[in-house]
Amino acid sequence: MFKEFVEDKHYSFHEGFDDWRDAIRAACAPLLADGTIDKEYPEFIIEKVEELGPYIVIAPDICIPHAERGRGVHGTSMCFMKTEKPVRFAKDGEHDARIFVVLAATDDDAHIKNLMALSETLSDEEIVKKILAAKTPEDLLAIEA
Amino acid sequence: MLKVIAACGSGMGSSQIIKMKLSKVFKKLGIDADVYHTNVGDAKSQANNYDVVFCSASLEGQFAGTKAKVIGLKNLLSEQEMTEKIEAADLK
Repeated sequence: MFKEFVEDKHYSFHEGFDDWRDAIRAACAPLLADGTIDKEYPEFIIEKVEELGPYIVIAPDICIPHAERGRGVHGTSMCFMKTEKPVRFAKDGEHDARIFVVLAATDDDAHIKNLMALSETLSDEEIVKKILAAKTPEDLLAIEA
Repeated sequence: MLKVIAACGSGMGSSQIIKMKLSKVFKKLGIDADVYHTNVGDAKSQANNYDVVFCSASLEGQFAGTKAKVIGLKNLLSEQEMTEKIEAADLK
């Protein structure tokens, strides 16, 4: 998974964001750069979160920005982002995240495969610790080893 | 057979992760369950035909007034939290 992030240039590292909306846009930027998504895609994600709350923060420190398939998406892929400072989604501080994996999907089977790998990887607390410590693409590649 | 909905905002990310994790946990607990994943709007309109709805804790409020049991999860990746909540709700 991390090898793909690095090979596809689907990753970015940032210090932090004052507004979670900017974090979503930054997390999506590499997918926009290679045409996997349109510039509307991050805005669809933001709209949903504004409507329903920060349900994309699925576990402590982990956010998986995604919107409905078929709108503003041209491929099935994932894109990684890490921030040094937690991005705050709600005032209560219960929805802070430093690890972001944007999901984009047009193909169901490939998307399910991606999700299974992602959910397995992020369920491993030791791997999550290593991701939180990562600062460079080389650090990401070392996690898979 | 326990009829279960896993719901999230879009029906394509978190709800599928909930479904994957739940299926594993139900199997471990020996509970025969059928898990359907979808978005909140669809889940709301269908919830009364199901026994239980699982969703992210931040979406729990969306299901006020449904007959189905609603279980909000803080950590969608935690099989332990799912197990505890399934046992506390006495699902079988």
